[in-house]
Amino acid sequence: MTFLSKLFRRRRYDDLTVSIREHIAERADELVGEGMPRAEAEQTARRAFGNVGLVEQRSREVWQWPTAESVFADIRFALRQLIKSPGFTITAVVTLALGIAVNATMFSMVSAFLLPHLPGRDPQSMVVVSSVNPDSQFQPDANPASAPNYLAWSKDTRVFSAMAAADEYRTGSLAGKGLQPEALTYAAVSPNYFPVFGVSPALGRAFVAGEDQPGRDHVLVLSHGLWERRFGSDASVVGRVVRLNREDYVVAGVMPADFRLLGFTPQLWTPLTLTASDATADARKNRSLYLFARLAPGIKLEQARVQMRMLGQQAQQDYPAIEGRWGAAVRTLPDFLIYNFGIGTALAVIMTVVGFVLFIACANVAGLLLTRAVGRQKELAIRMSLGATRVRVVRQLLTEGVVIALLGGGVGLFLTYFGIRVISAGLSFNDAIADVKISLDTNVLIFAAVVSLVSAVLSSVAPALKASRTEINTDLKSEGRGASSGRAHNRMRVFLVGGEIALALFLLIGSCLLIRGVSLIEHQKLGFNHDHLLTAGLVLDKARYADSSKQIQFVRGLIERARQIPGVEKVAVASDLPASGLNSVTFHIKGQTEAHSNDQHTVADVVVTPEYFEVAGVPLLRGRLFTGRDDATAPHVVLVNQEFVHKYFQDRDPLGKQIQLDVARASPAWSEIVGVVSDVKSYSEDARVDPEVFEAYLQRPVASFSLMLRSTVEPKSLASSLRQAIAQLDRELPLLRVMSMDDVIEAQKNGDPLFTKLLGTFAILALILSAIGIYGLIAYSVGQRTHEIGIRLALGAKASDISRMILRDGFKVAAIGSAIGLLMALPLPKLFESIFHGLVVGGPEVYPVVLAVMLIVAFCATFGPARRAVHVDPTTALRNE
Amino acid sequence: MAKDSDRRDLFPGALELMILQSLRLRPMHGYALVKHIKQVSGDLLQVEEGSLYPALQRLLREGLLDSEAGTSAKGRPTRIYRVTDAGLRHLEQEVSSFEKMFAGITRVLAVAKT
Repeated sequence: MTFLSKLFRRRRYDDLTVSIREHIAERADELVGEGMPRAEAEQTARRAFGNVGLVEQRSREVWQWPTAESVFADIRFALRQLIKSPGFTITAVVTLALGIAVNATMFSMVSAFLLPHLPGRDPQSMVVVSSVNPDSQFQPDANPASAPNYLAWSKDTRVFSAMAAADEYRTGSLAGKGLQPEALTYAAVSPNYFPVFGVSPALGRAFVAGEDQPGRDHVLVLSHGLWERRFGSDASVVGRVVRLNREDYVVAGVMPADFRLLGFTPQLWTPLTLTASDATADARKNRSLYLFARLAPGIKLEQARVQMRMLGQQAQQDYPAIEGRWGAAVRTLPDFLIYNFGIGTALAVIMTVVGFVLFIACANVAGLLLTRAVGRQKELAIRMSLGATRVRVVRQLLTEGVVIALLGGGVGLFLTYFGIRVISAGLSFNDAIADVKISLDTNVLIFAAVVSLVSAVLSSVAPALKASRTEINTDLKSEGRGASSGRAHNRMRVFLVGGEIALALFLLIGSCLLIRGVSLIEHQKLGFNHDHLLTAGLVLDKARYADSSKQIQFVRGLIERARQIPGVEKVAVASDLPASGLNSVTFHIKGQTEAHSNDQHTVADVVVTPEYFEVAGVPLLRGRLFTGRDDATAPHVVLVNQEFVHKYFQDRDPLGKQIQLDVARASPAWSEIVGVVSDVKSYSEDARVDPEVFEAYLQRPVASFSLMLRSTVEPKSLASSLRQAIAQLDRELPLLRVMSMDDVIEAQKNGDPLFTKLLGTFAILALILSAIGIYGLIAYSVGQRTHEIGIRLALGAKASDISRMILRDGFKVAAIGSAIGLLMALPLPKLFESIFHGLVVGGPEVYPVVLAVMLIVAFCATFGPARRAVHVDPTTALRNE
Repeated sequence: MAKDSDRRDLFPGALELMILQSLRLRPMHGYALVKHIKQVSGDLLQVEEGSLYPALQRLLREGLLDSEAGTSAKGRPTRIYRVTDAGLRHLEQEVSSFEKMFAGITRVLAVAKT
């Protein structure tokens, strides 16, 4: 609408008014001519014409593009009204802004993690084929697959047009001219890996067919991040020779920055070489390959699922001993990545919580609007008597709600910007998380807009409908003298306050249960002594430590040197640090016939040097520990933990019993159980204890292990001495991470501290918002009842009677709301335990404590208005209005 | 307002038709238009002001009418409405289509009587 046409239209409206005015005047003249007195004639003419305003409005609407003009008018009017009452406006806008900001901020995580940007061409037809381990409690259907299965399954080209394999979690050392040796994680991928995704490198080339053959496999592709960080974004890096695991590799290309799969963070890729040994039955035990496949044209996910289920059963039949009950599953790529990343549940809980916070904010604003509408009853009655239809009035009131919500949305987005910065800083507890960029993207903007509109509807529809149900006559006449506000308004207020209390209580209980559960886990006894312990990871590469005698030699030297570092008491080596995850293997007990292959025993397998138990502080309960004589020439011996004895020997004496572990490439000898040690938690962040078996390093050396130093001084102060000691042994060997055991445990908490902090913050926000809501509504109703209170006081009511009355009213609502909230919260512990793996939701004590807090807050919010009511002066109250 | 059985609602387009036809005779202001239609129809048709002014605005918008500042018989300022060329053309079209419709209705009614 241009300025000119606006002017022009204004003139036309004036013309219309002139016409109508003349019309009525002429009719009046005529009536006077017929002998009617002038005053009466004018009134008659006016009455005959009807509602001038309405006729004018309808005539004007002829010119208006579908009521846009009246919407603008409504918005202008709404803004004027809001500016007139800044207190109300600021409260409502800030309340909604907080609600919208927490929602938009949390949604930015959803946008980043659950709507991930997928690389390549047509990601919708990409699927991930994974192994199903029915015995696993955690994500049983997202396990990597073995090489023989990959070789068999990739041959099936009916449902998949291509299948690529990736060994995602390899660690190695990168060195080269001018490069410090660095330990990094990388992936070994089949040469068709990049083509299957349909991505091409930003620089150079990807792998070509045949580069998975030994001898041609010394090429690598750099990730964009590594290229920037280590090679200074040098475009001439293509063709350069670098050292990976002490061998020369040629840099073939660099991938673009947006080639990133949620949860996988390889720094570089090498070809995956599969040799004859990878096709043997024994190789089936080593499941480390993630299989990415593209569906053949016209094939649906369901068809692929059916096919893979069949192939999985085929493998079971062909290799019952190894494949057991293992099967195969198919998921779409985004589905798999999100599932595997496992952040979905936490995000769902957080989004539910912030959704409730928004509801509470909306209830507050609805209460404010309702309160305001009562004060505007007279204005609305006048407008309706002047011909405004109910729809028109509702629209005007809704417009006000929308304007408030949009202002709230604007302020909320501003807050979201900072919220996202805080969240991003907090989301850096591991590489995979830090790799995901959280930003105020389009998704978040759209979400914020939708949330604003939803909250506009939630907060203003009910008050607008209520307010528009105005009886013109009674409202115009009875205005002011009414003793209290109408029953209907009261009912709605009770509903709002009750609902707020119920939601807030529900949120508080839920958050407290989760926070308590997490803190119980955090403070659990892990079963070993984790202070004054320095740890470091080492991976002995095949180039220099090809055979086990070299590995043993290195470990001997390492322990010898590390022990000489001043401040070090004892030194041990273990394939896995205690309470840091486990490597599960199947095994057999001598003399026990397994009913069928489906009943395979599994156990966590750890390889340790003899000092391990002393260094970790794990007490021996029975039998003996390992000694230096338990070496390759001696009979195989193992130690087990209590849980093992409990589960597999029903707590009977296991000493002297023989077991055989299904360990890839290990001699299949029977091992004798020579000792029982006490239990250690499998994960520091979980209450679980799994059956464990310990093997002696000298009898089964491994290339990848952790070093543990028990120190008399602050462990981290030993880091540099440790680095020197290792450099003396091998200059090119990088240390993976040098951390105190306490830091390892801290890092294993992953997002838990952030998660509980967020939950706590939102719960407190909900509590504050609902306190404000209760206060506002009770204070308002006391204000409305000033007149009534005045009468009561004048008739002899005591101050204490009045305050008791107000408190009772407030308490009644609080009690109803709390009861509903408590009922809603009852099934929460069960729900949480089923969705949060490993969480033990503690304490029913949470319920009464939170209830008490809620009631105290409700009492305080009611107390202020109640006190004020007592100080009402009967004479002013009665004169009031 | 009780519905008068003698006086039925006009069908769509009838009011516009009568406005155009009346203004074709001479340009008029709003009140004169109401009186004119009432007189000519012998009090059978009564135009409601509530529909007249929006109808005038519609015709103005579509360019079938023109309006100019003028004075009423009593010398008060008002708007005088006149039919434009487009209005005349529109009127002729409408009249002929109305006549056809009336002819049709009359015939059907006549057959039904016998």
